[in-house]
Amino acid sequence: MPGQIKTMIDKIIAQRSGGNVTLINTTKTKLLLKGIDPDKFVWNSPDDQAIITKLRTLATELRVTL
Amino acid sequence: MKRIATACSTNKSTLLAIGEVRAQIGTMNTKMVVFFASSIHEPEAVSRTMRDAFPGALVVGCSTAGEIVTGKMLKESIVAMAFSPEAVEDVALGVVSEVGKGPVAQKIGDVFAGFEKHYGRKMEELDFSKYVGIILIDGLSAAEERVMDKIGDLTNVLFVGGSAGDDLKFARTYVYANGKAYTDAAILLLLKPAVGFDILKTQSFRTTGKKLVATEVVEASREVISFNDKPAALAYAEALGTTVEDAANQFMSHPLGLLAGEEIFVRSPQQVLDGKMVFFCNVLEGMELSILSSTDIVADTRNAIKAKNGRQGSIAGIVNFHCILRTLELEKDNLTEAYGNVFSGVPTVGFSTYGEEYLGHINQTATMLLLR
Repeated sequence: MPGQIKTMIDKIIAQRSGGNVTLINTTKTKLLLKGIDPDKFVWNSPDDQAIITKLRTLATELRVTL
Repeated sequence: MKRIATACSTNKSTLLAIGEVRAQIGTMNTKMVVFFASSIHEPEAVSRTMRDAFPGALVVGCSTAGEIVTGKMLKESIVAMAFSPEAVEDVALGVVSEVGKGPVAQKIGDVFAGFEKHYGRKMEELDFSKYVGIILIDGLSAAEERVMDKIGDLTNVLFVGGSAGDDLKFARTYVYANGKAYTDAAILLLLKPAVGFDILKTQSFRTTGKKLVATEVVEASREVISFNDKPAALAYAEALGTTVEDAANQFMSHPLGLLAGEEIFVRSPQQVLDGKMVFFCNVLEGMELSILSSTDIVADTRNAIKAKNGRQGSIAGIVNFHCILRTLELEKDNLTEAYGNVFSGVPTVGFSTYGEEYLGHINQTATMLLLR
């Protein structure tokens, strides 16, 4: 089912930012610098397993529970 | 009562230069001193003498590729900024040693544990609007990305800073803390500014609309093998309508940029090597980069500071981490005096870096800590 990547990214951003607009932006930039551009993924983006695996690793690094 | 004071000296004698710096700072209750010193000054001597000049204060700094002080860009000098407790309420220091060797997670974790003990709060819980970090790191360690990545993992507090220089000798760079000189190390400061602060990252580029996707890279050596599945230098040259032989001539005015919305994170090419492109910072596989075109450094910087001044109070002091590539561009165009003048109205200290740190490792920016 497409959209898994967008769901994971949104969870990471939500947990790290707590909804704070500044932290939403810095978290998105941190993901971008780690090689995942949050703005590239939408709800119908296909479930690319390589990216899903990378996001799981990044979530652990960022101390976020997916 | 002075909250922030700056000083500088071009005296070639380390002892005399620091004596002049000390005299210019004058009498003030000094909580912290940040200094930047040309590599003409012997590392151990400059660090020890600066510490001795400001007993009771936390004294940190690094070697440079040029210095900046209120209203001036300098060479072969020592510049310093002193902060009273009315400017910096509290500060904690940590040294990360051997940053260029192996994983850094544990080392940064240890430094952060010290910060947590000092402030009595976990780093992940610190209010990013009340605390700010400064990082000074060995500019030849190639460790900046790993260090900044790990810092960003562990806290929402923003760290800004620069990679130490050595006046373009590219032999050895140093960071200084409390009388010692370190190489292959990073100094982390966690500040609680007394009034407030802001961070300004400015770069003088616009996007051209031309994009390159890194399709093969070697992260460890900051090399891009291919863009758009073509040899990197060829793809870059084709995008600019020039030849591979001419590509390196375009680097200064046409670096690449990673775009976070409208915010540009510049990745500056260093050289073409057997068709590959070597960068001054990491490009990851799959990254989509925009080719940039340079604009007016002096005007852009002046406008960026003007936009920040007055917003949330006036600026009381600036620590400017200024890329050496920008300095070289300013020197080429005989604009160092004009750039220095941008900072004539606000106490400023800074240096020409081998890279700037803000969320990650970046190039060709002026990344500044603005204290209110």
